[in-house]
Amino acid sequence: MTIKVLGPGCVNCKTLERRTREALEQMNVQANVEKVEDLNNIASYGILRTPGLVIDERVVWQGGVPSVDKLKELLAIEQERTGAA
Amino acid sequence: MKEWAKFLVLAGAFLLFYFAPINAPVVMTSLGAGLALLQEYAQRHVLTCLVPAFFIAGTIAVYVKKDAVIKLLGPETKKTIAYPVASISGGILAVCSCTILPLFTGIYKRGAGIGPAVAFLFTGPAINVTAILLTGGVLGWDFAVSRLIAAVIISVIAGLIMAFVFRKHDEKNAANGFASGLQDDVPYSNWTIASFFALQLAILVLFGISMQPVAKAVLIILALMAVLAIVLVKFKKEHNLEWMSETWNLTKKILPYLFVGIFVAGIIEIIIPEDLITRLVGQNTLLSNIVASLFGTLMYFATLTEVPIIQKLMALGMGRGPALTLFLTGNSLSLPSIFVLLKIMGAKQTGIYILSIVILSAFAGLIFGALS
Repeated sequence: MTIKVLGPGCVNCKTLERRTREALEQMNVQANVEKVEDLNNIASYGILRTPGLVIDERVVWQGGVPSVDKLKELLAIEQERTGAA
Repeated sequence: MKEWAKFLVLAGAFLLFYFAPINAPVVMTSLGAGLALLQEYAQRHVLTCLVPAFFIAGTIAVYVKKDAVIKLLGPETKKTIAYPVASISGGILAVCSCTILPLFTGIYKRGAGIGPAVAFLFTGPAINVTAILLTGGVLGWDFAVSRLIAAVIISVIAGLIMAFVFRKHDEKNAANGFASGLQDDVPYSNWTIASFFALQLAILVLFGISMQPVAKAVLIILALMAVLAIVLVKFKKEHNLEWMSETWNLTKKILPYLFVGIFVAGIIEIIIPEDLITRLVGQNTLLSNIVASLFGTLMYFATLTEVPIIQKLMALGMGRGPALTLFLTGNSLSLPSIFVLLKIMGAKQTGIYILSIVILSAFAGLIFGALS
């Protein structure tokens, strides 16, 4: 799984990155977490409000910092989707 | 901060402490003036204006349905709708520059195009709710309202200029839209949210107006109780927590810089010679408005710090026209933001954008100065 955290480097984006890593750890899932800070690159995902979360090139969240539990939920959905495919 | 930047800051502080003429009277007077202004703000503006303003901004962050607004900035929206929406939505969508630039890039690259994007970019920082409320509290409501109206009008004109000059850009733009909204809407009626918002605004206004003290206290307490009632009875715990955390995040982000800005503003009043200000920007002429406009373009003001600084420049004799001009360019343009714009839009677009803003702001100040 490749996870991208989109955001120009403000507090919220850093919090999202930290919580994502926390959620992955709690779920015992291996994933590649990247931080995307380039605005042009962020815009190419069609995201407007940062921070945004992209799992395997699919935007799953934008415009706020979800809780760790919510992140686990999002990760689980994506895991199931890719597992079924 | 990069390591070498940290080193430079520390080295600078060392040199300052080493060579500073501590015994010169001007040093002590200016430090005293900085502290005095901090006390003035702490006693007169922090509790009655800033704290309510932060709560109001927190309310907007949690309860206003932003996806509906953002959809109106998409590529399919008619221009007649996109421009006004872009020019006023800064007030609810953005509080600091780290939310403005991604939104701007998105609107520019995939949304309504360069015109509305530019309109948003200009008004976003200029009309955020805390800035307008503090301007009104410190400098008077005629100033706050003029600042708001001038920013909205200028943003639309600048947007139209950009859209006309770069009309080719928008043709290749319309390919794909935005990712759809992914956050859940809050389960309350618009009526509840509107009254929640209005009550907080009422508290702030009540603090500001002059009336009989007992009646004032009673009204404020009533409004506070009504806000509390909505929080306890209507809203769910998770949304209340979110409201608190948004308000707190904003406070953390803004207040430390504001205190530094107030202190600096107090010092400015002592160390900048009065006749320099009166000569450069004392009269409401085209030249003095352009000076103010250029100064605001290059200077970086952290959110809200423009208020104490302009307050003190006015105490030194800056005219009302140039002051409004400085409000207009001060927040929306700065050297750091110009570098980011260069990267996103390219040199030609950025150049014309800055030129339009500098000229339009100067004229807005000129008109305001002549009217007041």
